[in-house]
Amino acid sequence: MHSFKRDFKDNIMMKEQYETKFIFKYWSNIKNDFIDFIYVIMICTALSFVVTIIGPIKNFLVNFVVSQSFGITVAAIVFWSLLIFKPRTWELLLFIVVIDVCCAVLIGLQICIFILQYFFDIVLDLQANGLGLQMIIGGILFSFFGVYFFMTKMRLKYRGQMIDREKTKRTDMEKENLSANLKVLQAQIEPHFLFNTLSNILSLIDTKPETGKSMLLDLTKYLRTSLSRTLPEKTTLTQEIAMIKAYLDIQKIRMNERLNYKIDVPDDLMQHSFPPMLLQPLVENAVKHGLEPKVEGGEIFIRATQENNILKIEVADTGLGFSDLDKPGFGIANVRERIGLLFGEKGRLIIEENNPHGVRATIEMPINEL
Amino acid sequence: MNYKAIIVDDEKELRTYLKSMLAETWPQLEICGEAGNGKEALKMVDAFAPHIVFLDIKMPGLSGLEVAKNIAGICRIVFITAFDQYAVEAFEREAVDYLVKPVTKERLRQTINRLKKQLQSSPEPPADLTRIVTQVLANVQGNKNADQYLQWIKTQHKESVRLIPVEEVDYFQAGDKYTLVITAQGEALIKKSIKELSRELDPQKFWQIHRGTIVNVSRIENVGRSFTGRGILKLKDRSDALTVSRQYLHLFKQM
Repeated sequence: MHSFKRDFKDNIMMKEQYETKFIFKYWSNIKNDFIDFIYVIMICTALSFVVTIIGPIKNFLVNFVVSQSFGITVAAIVFWSLLIFKPRTWELLLFIVVIDVCCAVLIGLQICIFILQYFFDIVLDLQANGLGLQMIIGGILFSFFGVYFFMTKMRLKYRGQMIDREKTKRTDMEKENLSANLKVLQAQIEPHFLFNTLSNILSLIDTKPETGKSMLLDLTKYLRTSLSRTLPEKTTLTQEIAMIKAYLDIQKIRMNERLNYKIDVPDDLMQHSFPPMLLQPLVENAVKHGLEPKVEGGEIFIRATQENNILKIEVADTGLGFSDLDKPGFGIANVRERIGLLFGEKGRLIIEENNPHGVRATIEMPINEL
Repeated sequence: MNYKAIIVDDEKELRTYLKSMLAETWPQLEICGEAGNGKEALKMVDAFAPHIVFLDIKMPGLSGLEVAKNIAGICRIVFITAFDQYAVEAFEREAVDYLVKPVTKERLRQTINRLKKQLQSSPEPPADLTRIVTQVLANVQGNKNADQYLQWIKTQHKESVRLIPVEEVDYFQAGDKYTLVITAQGEALIKKSIKELSRELDPQKFWQIHRGTIVNVSRIENVGRSFTGRGILKLKDRSDALTVSRQYLHLFKQM
């Protein structure tokens, strides 16, 4: 609740601070200025066509010159005055724009009269039918319309940018969180597992030194990955499977005939790059929640298949399975979150009941993005 | 007199290890059996009536503590644990014999000396062990059962049953016969009614906001007011708006 409120407040403050800033920001870019200038000319040209058809003067040339000189004058004056005064609020901005437009229309009127007379020998009779007044009012109205159009255009563009920035900020934050989570995940080596393994090694040194040695090597392999502070963003499936094998071999010595496992990954998939520690939590879950607490033990199958550019990796166990009230654990949440961040909609983690008992967890991810 | 003992541990190597250590430090002790789980242990206690049971706490099926509860009055128990902070603290406080893995010779010798002394002074096992074990057990289970709320939503999906962790559910919506489960990944139907769900879900994490709607609190983006005085609830990364009926609006009163 608190945070909703704070977010809201932050938003309001942001708006106050940056109310009109985006205009100056946008116009301080020469490229944008040029584009807007082209817009002004195009709009004025279009306007002169319209006025020729419906307006009092049926001469296109006259209308063209009038609307161009009005348009360019207004645009130039509004542009410069805003850039010079940089009003902080909308009220101030409106005030300046009103003065600008009134002045600019009068100046534009003088300019067009001059151009028409000097270059084309056309004299406008401003008194006839209130033509001058019509031009001034029309000019002011269209000028306001133009200013509104440009402001809206900039605001929309700016809003899009803001949203994009927010989005990248959010994903950055999520990524940071994720690497923090990964560290927590790594730090979650179970003391039970560690001390039991060490006791086993101690025992094996006397009774079966060779087995003891290989268990110690497996433990080293397991700890090397689990404890390394910086994990590479991508390793290969081969490496992940090697780590899982080390873990399962340790557990196999501890649990003896209560644990059997099978790993079925085709050779061509083994070479694929793969995010580190993505499969491991699922295997640990299968042992910890599935097989360890079950008196008869059971089996674990790890299988990778490829289907239409989707890599599917399945970890199935014949253990106790989850009851409605069992906590899913940090591992599963972490795996799912990482899949979401790495592959978006294209990746997912599916957890199902295995037949007749146990759990089957399947990771699906696009193969070309690995 | 010669004493009898059994060793209970689900890991075979560790039984062998303890056995060899005992053979060195207490050669007169007769190890009359080894058990790999709680049930076997109970049978062996019945069969051999040992004086001492070396008992691992963490085992599949019956845990060491549960076994101890049954046999505490019959024989002396030395608990073995790799890492059970809570139990170890309790044992330390109540002067119960215990060993931590990996078992060291010095520690084992100390324990044995104490056991020998106790066995000579009184052949009967201490009476208050049952009480201590019951207490530890209650605490361990209490910790485990502290939040007995629904954690998984099980939905039928083609041939298989899918498990969705409740954290992933955006909201539940009552339908005609079924309840709709809406997650970022899609929708599923379950038979549990909104009423049942509101009882079984963690009230800290899920709020009922309408007769037919329960929402995941962590997925709420904001709540606005409609003209009619009801609340309009928006979820993160979703376009659909949910209605908060008046009777649940108090949940969103500003703090």
